[in-house]
Amino acid sequence: MSRSILYTSSPLLASRTPVWRSKFIVAVLALTFLGLGVRAAYIQVVSNDFFQYQGQVRFARTLEIPASRGRVLDRNGLILASSVLASSVWAIPEDVERDEERLRQLARLLDMSLAELNKKLEDEDKTFVWIKRQVDEPVAKQIDALKIKGIYQRKEYKRQYPEGEAAAHVVGFTNVEDKGQEGVELAFEKTLAGKSGSRRVIKDRLGSVVEAVGETVPPVDGLDLQLSIDSKVQFFAYQKLREAVRENKAASGSIVVLDAQSGEVLALANYPSYVPGKRQNLSGAQLRNRALTDTFEPGSTTKPFIAALALEKGLVRPETQIQTAPGRLTIGGATISDAHPHGVLTVNEIIQKSSNVGTVKMAMQMPAREMWEMYSLVGFGQKPQLPFPGVVSGRLRAHKTWRPIEQATMSYGYGLSVSLFQLAHAYSVFARDGQLVPVTLLKTSGAAGGVRVMQARHAESVRHMLQLVTSPGGTAIKAQTMGYSVGGKTGTAHKVEGRGYASHKYRGFFVGLAPVEQPRIVVAVMIDEPTAGRYYGGDVAAPVFSETVQQTLRLLGIQPDVPVKPGIIANAVGESF
Amino acid sequence: MTRLNLLLLLAVMSSALYLVNVQYESRRLFAEIDRALSEERRLEAEHERLLAERRAQAAPLRVEKLAKDRLQMRPASPAISIYVTRPQGEGSP
Repeated sequence: MSRSILYTSSPLLASRTPVWRSKFIVAVLALTFLGLGVRAAYIQVVSNDFFQYQGQVRFARTLEIPASRGRVLDRNGLILASSVLASSVWAIPEDVERDEERLRQLARLLDMSLAELNKKLEDEDKTFVWIKRQVDEPVAKQIDALKIKGIYQRKEYKRQYPEGEAAAHVVGFTNVEDKGQEGVELAFEKTLAGKSGSRRVIKDRLGSVVEAVGETVPPVDGLDLQLSIDSKVQFFAYQKLREAVRENKAASGSIVVLDAQSGEVLALANYPSYVPGKRQNLSGAQLRNRALTDTFEPGSTTKPFIAALALEKGLVRPETQIQTAPGRLTIGGATISDAHPHGVLTVNEIIQKSSNVGTVKMAMQMPAREMWEMYSLVGFGQKPQLPFPGVVSGRLRAHKTWRPIEQATMSYGYGLSVSLFQLAHAYSVFARDGQLVPVTLLKTSGAAGGVRVMQARHAESVRHMLQLVTSPGGTAIKAQTMGYSVGGKTGTAHKVEGRGYASHKYRGFFVGLAPVEQPRIVVAVMIDEPTAGRYYGGDVAAPVFSETVQQTLRLLGIQPDVPVKPGIIANAVGESF
Repeated sequence: MTRLNLLLLLAVMSSALYLVNVQYESRRLFAEIDRALSEERRLEAEHERLLAERRAQAAPLRVEKLAKDRLQMRPASPAISIYVTRPQGEGSP
């Protein structure tokens, strides 16, 4: 008997399939296709936008195109500040692999202790922690080579200041976000700052850009800024100032060098200064740009203006003799005295010997209004037109409120206050034959037009008085410099403390010009609280003036106008002075 | 008729495939340009950095120190300068 079953012929298996069943299957299949068709149409036509958008979200990226900040250049195009790329190190604490040895290496590269590093990494909830910002490029490469998981780097701009502390107060500095905080960096923020652009791209799975979509907004780089500062002059001025402040054990010092013809600021330095690249020490008093923000009583340095005014009004001539004996003068119950009593002095000698009595005698012949006008015209009591943060205007009271004794003291520089910069600017009147030029921190082309304050011949007369100050018999022989004729005026002022004058705190200053016949520069030096014994402006500030003038005129390529005993045996064609 | 249709179908198919190929190629080239551009930016930044570095190396503060300490030089003064007058008729240097 066969055990096999014949499926096709077995009557048991024979069944009658109903017709509706096959029709049902066909219908289901048809419906499925229809469904697919509808879905396709839905995706392609109806919700096309939605899916396009979703695709974009997954692959399109908006990339920022960073713009660089403009550079700050000196008058010769040398870099004072420039933005360079630097890497900032950041981490996702959760992802950082806790490999003691490699973390130790990282900490060493970043100049921090392992404990410090671990402290930054301990908050595992955070997804982003800066480890250190703006790391130097070689260090960044080494960190990259360590290949620690979870430690990343990001490119940022970092500001570099090659000139360092010498130009710090002029140039200023930026914060970590590359925004100006002080000095020119702040004053010209709008010019220097760039505007970053953007573009929209499609990135593939590997992260490389494969297509640009839409519009690209190009970045606008910040503009370069050319200052009137000469970095060599600036450096010399700073260096000499620093030496003088240290030598005299002074609290601080400032120096201003102006180009007398164009009104350009060639150098402006203060000591103590700071290194703008080192962020940790950017605070405190050293940031103050004292030459512009600190005011003091100008003392004897105002006397030449009184002499000039007296000449201008025809009250005196340089040779006019004035009796200053017995060295005392009483006005309204108060006594004005000279440090050393003199006899009969000419106007020239009054300035040379810095006689208070002589000056007051000239000043009391003129109305208060005229004196006030002269002081105002040369910029006292007025803000210098410098686009600098924190520039002060000093103090000059309205002439209607002056009592006679006040007019007298104001003639020799007490009762008003000015900044060192204002003083230097005021002296440019003498240097430029009676015209006051507007000052500028930006490089200009050629000489600027000025406002006439006095006649050229009177300015010249005062220049000769100023030269006498630096000649034997004057108060500032130390201002003399080899090869160039100089003129200037010393000033020594008691410092004001509270409501009176401090007995042993002084400021010594000196402001002058060179060469006397055709002045090219005006230099003002101030040494604050010298404590090494000497405190007269002629002793502490004049030597700085002398050295600065010497170097500046040499750098400007100006031939000496005073014969010099040659220190070398000249064996060349041409003449030696 | 059928033959023509088949031919057109074939043409459409190959054109479509070619399009895909061209698209791929264009993206590849674009990515390459992009890489080159970012390399350019990187080099530019590097250049800027080196300029600043060079300037820092030549800063007066440093030069002065080296000249004084290593080369035993001293500042020039009129006493040790020879001034040569430029002959008439010559332009500025």
